[in-house]
Amino acid sequence: MSPQKTLFHISHSRYLQHETDGDDHPEIPARLEEVNCQLQRLARTNQIICLEPCEAERRWILAIHSNDYLLRFEETALTGHSYFGHPDNRLGYYTYEIALLAAGAGLAGIDLAEKEPHATIFCSVRPPGHHAEKSMALGFCFLNNVAIAARYWQDKYQRRRIAIIDFDAHHGNGIQAAFEESPEVFYLSIHEHPTFSFPGTGYAEENGTGAGIGMTLNITLLPGAKDTEVQNAFTRQIEPALEDFKPEVLIIAAGFDGHRLDDMSGLAYSSMLYRFFGQEIAALGRRHCQGRVITILEGGYHLPSLGESFTEYCSGLLQSTEEVGKCSSVAL
Amino acid sequence: MFISSFMSAPAKTVTPGTLLPEAREIMVSGSFRHLPVVDGKDILLGIITDRDIRSAFPSEVMDERERGEYLQRFATLTVGKIMTAIVTKLSSKATLDDALILFEESKIGALPVVNEVNQIIGILAINDLLTAYKQLFGLGVRGSSLIVVEDDGKPRALTRLTEVLESKQVPFTRLIRTGGSGWNSNGNNLIYIRIHSYNLSGINHALADAGFQPVVPAAQ
Repeated sequence: MSPQKTLFHISHSRYLQHETDGDDHPEIPARLEEVNCQLQRLARTNQIICLEPCEAERRWILAIHSNDYLLRFEETALTGHSYFGHPDNRLGYYTYEIALLAAGAGLAGIDLAEKEPHATIFCSVRPPGHHAEKSMALGFCFLNNVAIAARYWQDKYQRRRIAIIDFDAHHGNGIQAAFEESPEVFYLSIHEHPTFSFPGTGYAEENGTGAGIGMTLNITLLPGAKDTEVQNAFTRQIEPALEDFKPEVLIIAAGFDGHRLDDMSGLAYSSMLYRFFGQEIAALGRRHCQGRVITILEGGYHLPSLGESFTEYCSGLLQSTEEVGKCSSVAL
Repeated sequence: MFISSFMSAPAKTVTPGTLLPEAREIMVSGSFRHLPVVDGKDILLGIITDRDIRSAFPSEVMDERERGEYLQRFATLTVGKIMTAIVTKLSSKATLDDALILFEESKIGALPVVNEVNQIIGILAINDLLTAYKQLFGLGVRGSSLIVVEDDGKPRALTRLTEVLESKQVPFTRLIRTGGSGWNSNGNNLIYIRIHSYNLSGINHALADAGFQPVVPAAQ
């Protein structure tokens, strides 16, 4: 019998308190409840270690967002407004605190990855982050969890060369904007073509600016794209690009809204594609980064598909794991 | 919708007496490709393009002596000798659609803009027009996406559709109904809407409730 594999699941019960009241808002607490249900399925064959993060310290948030923006965000939440900037970005009284907690998950994941390089780490957070820019909330996102994590990894652990792979159906404009001038952070995003898809950015021609030219790779898919197109893009474009870049660590912006049943995009992925992502990403992590990989949840709004895709992704990560040393619970 | 919001103003101009080397220098230093030619009261007389200048400029492949002679002659030529005197132009009240039609018909890259007494007030390059339509269509603005629904042929389709969007407070910048080209497999026309919201799921459901069938657009 093969030894049990371990998934470190970083999440917080308070994430459910981020309210997006309204009968039709897709970014709802039930998303994480669905993920938590699926964890129990994963626990039948794997060891699951659940960890709760702390709020990210303000200095780490300020590495990506402006102080003025944070003040406006906090004030908007505390004064009872129903949205911030755009009606899409609904919030409640606790949203600011919870967004800090969501940003903290990535940092906790990084601390863990540094102690246990081959740990399989998934951060289930909300609100999501990859559309948030320095001074702008967008697309249900307030703080850019992935970008904050990348800066933290650079500044605290001197891991300078970071690759971010974003397989959410939508382009992560906030991540790209944060790093498009950086020669050290390589942002690779595979998403629905911006002519059709929110937020209307992420054209293939956008490949970085200044010293960061060549450090952004946008792979665009036409509506209706299926698994095969993604798999081809992954093996023919993403893997060779990382071979050249040689990242020290990997951060994954994991969105599950490309699923064919999720009407937030026109993509038509199957659940099994997410297993492919998990396997390939774990292999990339071993090949380039001594296993230092963390994954942070972004989108995914059709609840059954989100749950199934999350399970497949984690199974892919775990299936591919060559356990180097025995993972154990680590105090954060 | 008026070109006056998108033209370059004031336009850099030359007079018929401007020597070609000076006109060439103005074009190169300012990255201009078109210079309106005006008189002392800014009345539009013609236009000169970088192509006109290149044609008059001695070729690099000439032998040295011949090229030297040409250069001397070039230095004495004036804009008035080579400008195009019959100018296609726009009025200050012209719309972007006027400009689009003129650009398409005239096959030129920039149109001078004049007031009611034919004085130059600006210039609209084809790139300015592209920028204008990009803005009007909401392209490149973070936060937009395209929704496509099937036009079922029932009455007041666009009215019903905009009612749905406005009732949900969804801003939109483009509403296009294809005409007579059978854009989907059912042979029905399609309606394209560029909305400024991420709540695609909520909007799709609201449109479906109003009888619209969302469509995943496919390349032909």
